[in-house]
Amino acid sequence: MSSILVQVIVGGLLLGAVYALFSSGLTLVWGMMNIVNFAHGDFVMLGMYVAFVVWTLFGAGPWAGAPLAALVLATLGVVVYFGLIRDIMKGPMLAQILGTFGLALLLRYSVFWWFGANFLSLPENLVGGTFEVAGLRIQASRLLAGAVALLVTLGLHLLLTRTSLGSKMLAVAEDSTAAQLMGIRPDTMQAIAWAIAAGATGLAGALIATFFYIVPTVGETLGIVAFVTVSLGGFGSVPGALVAGLLIGVIESLSGYLIGPVYKDMVVYSLFLGFLWFRPQGLMGKS
Amino acid sequence: MRRLLWLSVVLALVVAYPLLFSTPFQQRLGALVLLYAIAASAWNIVGGYAGQVSVGHVVFFGCGAYAAMGAYAHFALSPLVGIPVGIVISVAISAIIGVPTLRLSGHYFSMATIAVAELVRLIVTNTGYLGAAVGLSGPTVPRNVFDLSFISALPYYYLFLAVLALTLGITWWIANSRMGFYLRAIRDSERAARSLGAPASRTKLYAFMLSAGLTSVAGALYAMMFGFVDPESGLGILISVKMLIMAALGGAGLLFGPLVGAAILVPLEEISNNLLGGKGAGLTFVLYGAIIVLIARFQPGGILMLVKRMIAKRRSKLPSAEARGAAHAP
Amino acid sequence: MRFKHIIGLLCAASISVMLAGHAFAQEKTVKIGAVYPLSGNAASAGVHAKAAIEVAMDIINNPHPEFGNFPLAKNAGLAGLGGAKVEVVFADNQGSPATGQNQALRLITEEKVVALTGSYQSGITLTASAIAEKYGIPFVNGESVAANLTERGFKWFFRVTPVAADFAKIYYEFLKDMKAAGVKTDSVALVHDNTEYGTSVSSVITSVFKDNGQSIALDIAYAVNATDVQSQILQLKEKKPDVVIMIAYASDAILYAKTMQALDYKPPMIIADDSGYSDPSFIKSVGKISQGVLNRSSWSVGPPGSPTALIAEMYKKKSGDEMDDTAGRQMQAFFVLCGAIDRAGSTDPAKIQAALKATDLKPDQLMMGYKGIKFDEKGQNVLASGLVIQLQDGENYVAVWPKANAEKTPVLPYKGW
Repeated sequence: MSSILVQVIVGGLLLGAVYALFSSGLTLVWGMMNIVNFAHGDFVMLGMYVAFVVWTLFGAGPWAGAPLAALVLATLGVVVYFGLIRDIMKGPMLAQILGTFGLALLLRYSVFWWFGANFLSLPENLVGGTFEVAGLRIQASRLLAGAVALLVTLGLHLLLTRTSLGSKMLAVAEDSTAAQLMGIRPDTMQAIAWAIAAGATGLAGALIATFFYIVPTVGETLGIVAFVTVSLGGFGSVPGALVAGLLIGVIESLSGYLIGPVYKDMVVYSLFLGFLWFRPQGLMGKS
Repeated sequence: MRRLLWLSVVLALVVAYPLLFSTPFQQRLGALVLLYAIAASAWNIVGGYAGQVSVGHVVFFGCGAYAAMGAYAHFALSPLVGIPVGIVISVAISAIIGVPTLRLSGHYFSMATIAVAELVRLIVTNTGYLGAAVGLSGPTVPRNVFDLSFISALPYYYLFLAVLALTLGITWWIANSRMGFYLRAIRDSERAARSLGAPASRTKLYAFMLSAGLTSVAGALYAMMFGFVDPESGLGILISVKMLIMAALGGAGLLFGPLVGAAILVPLEEISNNLLGGKGAGLTFVLYGAIIVLIARFQPGGILMLVKRMIAKRRSKLPSAEARGAAHAP
Repeated sequence: MRFKHIIGLLCAASISVMLAGHAFAQEKTVKIGAVYPLSGNAASAGVHAKAAIEVAMDIINNPHPEFGNFPLAKNAGLAGLGGAKVEVVFADNQGSPATGQNQALRLITEEKVVALTGSYQSGITLTASAIAEKYGIPFVNGESVAANLTERGFKWFFRVTPVAADFAKIYYEFLKDMKAAGVKTDSVALVHDNTEYGTSVSSVITSVFKDNGQSIALDIAYAVNATDVQSQILQLKEKKPDVVIMIAYASDAILYAKTMQALDYKPPMIIADDSGYSDPSFIKSVGKISQGVLNRSSWSVGPPGSPTALIAEMYKKKSGDEMDDTAGRQMQAFFVLCGAIDRAGSTDPAKIQAALKATDLKPDQLMMGYKGIKFDEKGQNVLASGLVIQLQDGENYVAVWPKANAEKTPVLPYKGW
């Protein structure tokens, strides 16, 4: 019995790491620019399709697909920043929701138009199948995603706290006029933030594609999880997103196993709302 | 004086629309515009005037829709009975969820309302009394005129028009009262409003409750027209987003903003679906998404803001400071 | 003079013949509306439905003598209407009951269709058929299974597909036969999503099984479009049921197959309830790790050269995917509708309605494995039935039950990967 419970928890942790992985990009732009990206789930979806194309064209796994997805999405991030975000940031918050929601539909249905509505999938054993450790079944693809999640979180955290680029980015986030006076160009910094955020999201998509199905509407399923993860972790807090992701993964797994899978989302939303009552700024957000 | 003239011309056109465009589909399109305008205008009170961006208003929409269908399905009453019931329930629910969530600022409030909406949708999906996933249906064959089940969209059109007029009237009255003044102060800076002695929490809650009640009327009317509600169509997050983008596109915090937004988006969605939907290539939403992106990119304050600015420009050669200021509100 | 006169007459005659010929060439067409989810979450099903209807149009509108006596195939167009061609106007319901109804209204009033078919999701079929009822336009549905659709007292609604009660009977009879053959079927687990489809099918199965003295040992409900299904699989792994009945859409079905492999869980027998497990994407994505999964279907390809094999070939050419049961049921409904129009010999809705009511098709006139098509007073096909099929080579389902229709014998236990 208890070995199954351990498997449930381990599964939840691996799932949570994946949630953290595709939420880190969202929390970065949210924290830096106070922008809600409603197209975030669709960025993940694009990363998945890049991985799929790389596999069908070159037969290559995520070793090639993931970096390429990061590159493609980072480019897209810069384009989206200069083409749309820079201008809607000047408007009210509603304009951001309007603009990114429109972008979400545009991306989702452009992919639909090109690839069709069919469910696609990468081969199961692209990342070394499943192995057993002390009676626990662990999927290599999920382990890889989990490990990358930790690396991305650590990397982003170090970038923001230990590098001059990071402190420039934070300076812009804090007060862009003051930063400008100090000779930092807010435009460049914010474009870099979008490139990093979208790149990390693309990377996440490519890794998730190794164990999930791929379909144009998949961003809807994943997007809302990312929103909850990011607000639970605290907007802008990359380590917060990791902790929140792991927490949500374990809670979902446990409640799904102990109470019933139909109730697991209800449990997550109720706990999230209850938590906001006590800590309105999230786990690691600034009050 | 000129303004009054223009308004009466527009009003005459709105009243005459179903007679000028008299095919069943055009009439229905007009009714849909008004229906979504009611919902978006109701949202506008709390989302536009008070600047509290709720993404959970579908909960109240669903209350109205479920109350209307429930009145018929469980008590064989006219769905009209559902309107007052829906208002009472949604005002009560808005008070329950408003007290904790309205304390949250900015995006946290939006995220909390999304979570509430999803939670309610999941609960209803698993509640047999509310039809669970199957949903509730209205009268298939109308028993009398109070079932509000018509073939033609004409009665719906004028019913919705009356409700919209009422909604806009209430909004106008609120906006020009002390409460409206407080709401705008809260939107611009809640801290400043509080320090000037505005009862911020109470004002926000009242606005939220009023907005919730009006939204539920839209939900009830929706369910009567389509004769059906299920968790996805009555409580899906997309409906919240639609209310929001219609208000934002027309001009949030402006009286006629949501109506203008609905008058652009609803026909755009329906007509692009008519032309492109049957191809099955997703082109409807490519077009729809692209147009929304373009409007957000070039007119972030909404279409009505552009009109206002153009009028202001014509009046005086200098651009109006007021219009610019409002467009740049946080 | 007279000669000129004759020439003039001849000219006039030839011109009038040409004109008449021209008028004749401008053939009569019969417009039918089809409302499907061509965008949104269920778009995959809608796009396949569209391809299936287009294949049916090809079969009806062009001469296809290779189909033998298959109705409507031999000559071009509908014989009953002087060879009139069938034209289908497709519309997208966007997964919304409101849009579905708007589009049905548009097809009826603007496109002037004489009949409607669709709309996949039961909730949308409900609202779209309500408008057809108000306008007095026949609505023939081939795939929505919600019980309430035929309980509304509608006069213009006809449903060709089997419904949950039929499925439950198939499963019960199949398991009884398996038990007689020595397979252990004592404890049955149900796994289903909480959509209208999953809830209604699972509750009907539970009650039919209970009435026959077979209890359901484990009932696992889950939220549709799950991000993760490990807890469901682990519950099954712990309880070890003999038979698992899966009621899931394609997205979740793919995830179940992947997760079962990851957690190394193989129940002795899996029976899937059509939908997700019939989706061509399911076989393409995870067919190789779902060897031996049993499935409910009314479609089987049949021997080479048979009408069903020809249809399968045409469909594959059109859509790039294998024909599946859902697309087949939609196509069958369309054939029933066109057959009724053909017999009515008219595009008058009332005459089509009368012809639909009089429908009495025999199994050899159908592409699906129904016992026939005959509507009761509620509009439900009383002869709808199904087969049990099995994925034996990882690429194609073959019929394994009942014996009369079986191409192969069922292979047990479940093999997986």
